[in-house]
Amino acid sequence: MEGTLAYFLIVLPIAFAAIVGFSPAPMAKWIGTIGAFATLAVALLFAWTFPHWTDGLYAPDIDAANWFPAMGVSIALGADSVALLLILMTAFLMPLILIGSFTSITERPKDFFFWFMLLEASMLGAFLARDAVIFFVSYEFTMIPMFFLIANWGGAQRRQAAVKYVLYSFGGGILTLVGLLYIAMKMHAALGSWDFGIASMTAFCSTEMLASEQVWVFILLMAGFAVKIPLVPFHTWLPLVHDQAPTGGSVILAGTLLKLGTFGEFRIAMPMAPIGAVEWNGVLCVLCLIGIVAAALICWVQHDAKKLVAYSSVTHIAFCMLGMFSLNSIGVTGSVMYMISHGLSTGALFLCIGMIYERYHTKDMDELGGLYRTMPIWSFFMVFFTLASLGLPGLNGFVGEFYCLVGAFTAEDTAMTGYPGLMGPWYAIIAGLGLIAAAMYLLMLVGRLVWGPLREPGHHDAHHAHGHAHGQAHAQARDHAHDHAHGAHATTNDRATTLSRDIGAREIGILVPIAILCLVLGLYPEPMLKAIEPSVKNMLAPYPALVERYLKAGTLLESGSEAPPMASASQP
Amino acid sequence: MLSFSLLALADDHAATAASLAIPAAIDAPDLRWAGLIIGLPALSALLCLLCGALKLRSKLPALITIIALLGSFVLTCMLFSQVGEGTPRVVGLFEWMSFSWGTGDRFQSFAAPFALYIDALTLFWMLFVTGLGSLIAIYASEYMESDVGKGYTRFFGGVSIFLAAMATLVMASNLVVLYLGWEGVGLASYLLIGYYYAKPSAVAAAKKAFIMNRIGDLGLALGIGLIWVNYDTVDYATLFRVLEAGPLATQGDWMPSAIPFLLMLGAFGKSAQLPLFTWLPDAMEGPTPVSALIHAATMVTAGVYLIARTYPLFELHPDALATVAWVGGLTAFVAATIGMAQYDMKRVWAYSTISQLGYMFLGLGVGSTFGAGYHVFTHAFFKALLFLTAGAVMHGFAGQIDIRKLSGLRRVPGFKLVSWLALLGCLWLSALPFSAAFFSKDTILTTALGSERSDFQFLGWLGLFTAFLTAYYTFRVWFRAFAGPVQFEAGDDHHDDDHAHDSHATASHAHAKSEFHPHGPRLGIRIPLIVIALGVVAAGWPGYDALFFHGENWVQSMMMHSSAMQGAGEVHGREIFGLSAHRMTSIVGTSACLLGIAIAYWTHLRDRSAADRARAALRGFFLTRWIPATLENRWYVDEIYHALFRLPLWVASHILHFFDKTFVDGFLVDGTGRVPVAVARLFQPLYNGVLQGYAATMAGGFVLIAGWVFWIWLRGNG
Repeated sequence: MEGTLAYFLIVLPIAFAAIVGFSPAPMAKWIGTIGAFATLAVALLFAWTFPHWTDGLYAPDIDAANWFPAMGVSIALGADSVALLLILMTAFLMPLILIGSFTSITERPKDFFFWFMLLEASMLGAFLARDAVIFFVSYEFTMIPMFFLIANWGGAQRRQAAVKYVLYSFGGGILTLVGLLYIAMKMHAALGSWDFGIASMTAFCSTEMLASEQVWVFILLMAGFAVKIPLVPFHTWLPLVHDQAPTGGSVILAGTLLKLGTFGEFRIAMPMAPIGAVEWNGVLCVLCLIGIVAAALICWVQHDAKKLVAYSSVTHIAFCMLGMFSLNSIGVTGSVMYMISHGLSTGALFLCIGMIYERYHTKDMDELGGLYRTMPIWSFFMVFFTLASLGLPGLNGFVGEFYCLVGAFTAEDTAMTGYPGLMGPWYAIIAGLGLIAAAMYLLMLVGRLVWGPLREPGHHDAHHAHGHAHGQAHAQARDHAHDHAHGAHATTNDRATTLSRDIGAREIGILVPIAILCLVLGLYPEPMLKAIEPSVKNMLAPYPALVERYLKAGTLLESGSEAPPMASASQP
Repeated sequence: MLSFSLLALADDHAATAASLAIPAAIDAPDLRWAGLIIGLPALSALLCLLCGALKLRSKLPALITIIALLGSFVLTCMLFSQVGEGTPRVVGLFEWMSFSWGTGDRFQSFAAPFALYIDALTLFWMLFVTGLGSLIAIYASEYMESDVGKGYTRFFGGVSIFLAAMATLVMASNLVVLYLGWEGVGLASYLLIGYYYAKPSAVAAAKKAFIMNRIGDLGLALGIGLIWVNYDTVDYATLFRVLEAGPLATQGDWMPSAIPFLLMLGAFGKSAQLPLFTWLPDAMEGPTPVSALIHAATMVTAGVYLIARTYPLFELHPDALATVAWVGGLTAFVAATIGMAQYDMKRVWAYSTISQLGYMFLGLGVGSTFGAGYHVFTHAFFKALLFLTAGAVMHGFAGQIDIRKLSGLRRVPGFKLVSWLALLGCLWLSALPFSAAFFSKDTILTTALGSERSDFQFLGWLGLFTAFLTAYYTFRVWFRAFAGPVQFEAGDDHHDDDHAHDSHATASHAHAKSEFHPHGPRLGIRIPLIVIALGVVAAGWPGYDALFFHGENWVQSMMMHSSAMQGAGEVHGREIFGLSAHRMTSIVGTSACLLGIAIAYWTHLRDRSAADRARAALRGFFLTRWIPATLENRWYVDEIYHALFRLPLWVASHILHFFDKTFVDGFLVDGTGRVPVAVARLFQPLYNGVLQGYAATMAGGFVLIAGWVFWIWLRGNG
């Protein structure tokens, strides 16, 4: 049952992509949306029948899924609770993104929805993969749809952004591939057969490979993920790509594509090379702290709303990775929780900004502001998701953030939690400064976009063009925007689309589900935390012993090269 | 004078307090309905949201909010009658966050269920929070009526969120849920300060309030983290047991000793104490009912509540409480001096709020939680009254609040009641003998003066001097605005945010100004004013009861039965200049009050130019020139913060941004991207097709690098 569903999760979007390709252009958006909803339905069914919410095991079992061998590489698909949560988030965001793109994509809609369906298939493939080849192929394949989405429907510098995105990701990805191949070669040498199963590679690499090898393998694997996550200083593609990508592309990028990096870290890099992860932990933690503080400050001086949110992604993701590198279960659980939360709230922020971009064709906060006067409904959602993003307790962002902070705080050598770590209170204090900075830049964002006196681009030009009398009427219409049904007096001379002044039912309809989810996850995160926890504990199984040895000896290298580390393998 | 018999009673309690321990809490699942105290305002917030979504143009949101808040008040009263001063009850509502890991001796757990801790302290706070909340909501239903259909729904939604969050803060059973409420009230405060969103000053004030609170909140969050790390729990009931059982402070270990300091940082942020006080005066940008409810009576006392709630933790470091006392005493003094030099009536009351909060912290610090708690209680009423009368003036005079432009209001038709109620509030704020604030302030100052510590004695004298300043600046306002000849100038604000940015709109208002007729408040404003005024008088009851009938001071006994019991009784009768501390405080305090009123009378009513002459005299002499300048510029605190923090951060941000763009992205990333191109140029002179070639060569370059790494590897391990 689950095997079929997992298989369907990939095949369905591909099939719909094909249908979109052969359908008439006006139908494309409907078919794409139906496809996304169908995939969501399958994902929900998968989640509904999922038997391993509480024990961190995979469904379907690997043997059960092994029924589709091809080219010597078994297409083994399956998910544990963490992967399934990310799948659910992807499948949940996708229809919302597609509906959100109905009006903004006017050129070549067929291609747009085609690439989006392929993108969904490849992302789900990466989350579902139980085989390193499938993982890597899906992981890298996401670049192709993304490249076309940016290059065809992006902003003025879209080509440059698309090329930079692809080259940077590809360059990192190659190194990840080298790392994976190296493990496979070693396995081939040791066992005499090729095996690309993630579980067997993890078991082999984490227990049989020398410490010095693991240190290198970890860095190779990390190279691709660090770009994708993105960790400072490999983050510079992100603001550019976000700035240039169409709204849908930005949402999926922040919502899910970045999570491929964090997920790869969680599923591939950290379990496969735990010694490497411990050896490099100190460096990575410092990078995270730099990312949290520096990117937050950079956010504060942005003029472009979308770039601001893009940089806020960098600082949030650094927070998420800080939790991951705390190497204790509360921190890593928080990190996974944070992935979901960040996907929802940042994705929604990009949707909101896309909505005003569609209306005003600018996202420059110097030209645009005080939109509460004309767009109260949009403003409500904008403020709501900003609050979610800055980690207000009661909304989703807080839970992950708090767990990550506690994780960093308790990641001390004293091991009060049973998970010794290499951080400590000072890391949490510095990361906590990021919370203050988050309030600074996010409130600056809403303070300029939502509150304050109304500023609209092209407003005065419209007056001159249409004569003074008309300008007067226009101003009055603006004054009484609250008093009359919105849009009734709205003149469309300063906007290119026929969209209503405030967001309409379609746009409200895509924001409401996200808002509800944010609230529910903030007030009742318990089930999700409980689902994440066992998988995290499996992943972390080898770590406490390694960290203790590391703390005693100062390094794992010498001891590792003489005898392979103890065989306390994680067991995906 | 007479107050010492009240305090003599306190001495009796001191003996018993030492032997008492905080009573163990019991689970009370039968009290689950108490969750509705939070639930009703939360529901009301949702209904307001619904009203907003339906674009309702009526007073329904106010009605919903008032019903919800009154419901909460009634439920709080019921809870009070059931629990009262009895054993603390813990009521579990639902699981929020919990985590456990490790096994055996390494088993650790972190549990923050959404549960309520109901003891005397909780109930004490909840009674005036919900009571005043309901009254102020009724007041606001009339005050905000010009915004019906515009911001009305948003306003009452904000008030509902505030009450739900404040109830969560006060009733939480653990520190993480407290933090939820703590940030929630910050959110409500943000939304309501920025209510007049078209005014950039309001938006800036809202942002400032949130960010300064966040600085404090980080302290609180880290404090909670440290508490959990040290005591393995964030739950009050368990925490009190642990603290009781184990040795309190392990000297030299920085972690437990840091806890009280981190918690007090949070408290100082929320309660606007030094060094985080500058947001509160700016918060007066919000509508006046908000200033009364959130920024005077309830939210800003959350810091006092936090310290009273975690009072046992403040013994973890010997200097913790002394720090609280010093910060409180200095804040009281500094804010009072600034209050003397402000012309905006609401800002004067804002600085006086900061100053009075300073007294509360002084009380907590010198060891009188009873005095602090009592002062919170009395202050909530008289400060709400003062703000609401100021609001009534604003409402009637089109937003005019400058005491230079208002005079003789008590003779303006319709403002008689308002003026006399303002006088009542002013007298209470000045701590007139036998007023409620006289009892509460005396308790604090007596404890300070009676202390064995000389620095506390100094703070006591400073507090007495501040009492003199308080009486002066309070009556400066009253004599200027409410007494004297009738003269006024209408403001230009019609609570109409839609017109605020239109120049033609303001021009038409300016035209209307010449024929301006102030309109007196109607019942929606008068009734809450009268009820609160009765509350102001009645707040003295615990004091009178103890004084004249030798009963028990209700506030004191509430404090006695809570986590703040340690400080509920200690008052020493040290002799000062041959007089007992009680008598000394009463005599000096009364004189300070009367002297302050007399000077205010002389300079602001009898001869109104006297104040200007005094100021000119100060400015004319080079040694005193700084005094009026510093006070009028609010001790330059905002400027200092700008120079010390905001400006360097701003510069650093720009440098980082530049570095990020040019070095990280421009040099490292793009530079790396050019390396393969350069290499390719060497081998491929016929390089054409810019984009594709660039892509191919860069990919090739990565392959080369990867191959090189791989080769190094193989050699190293082969």
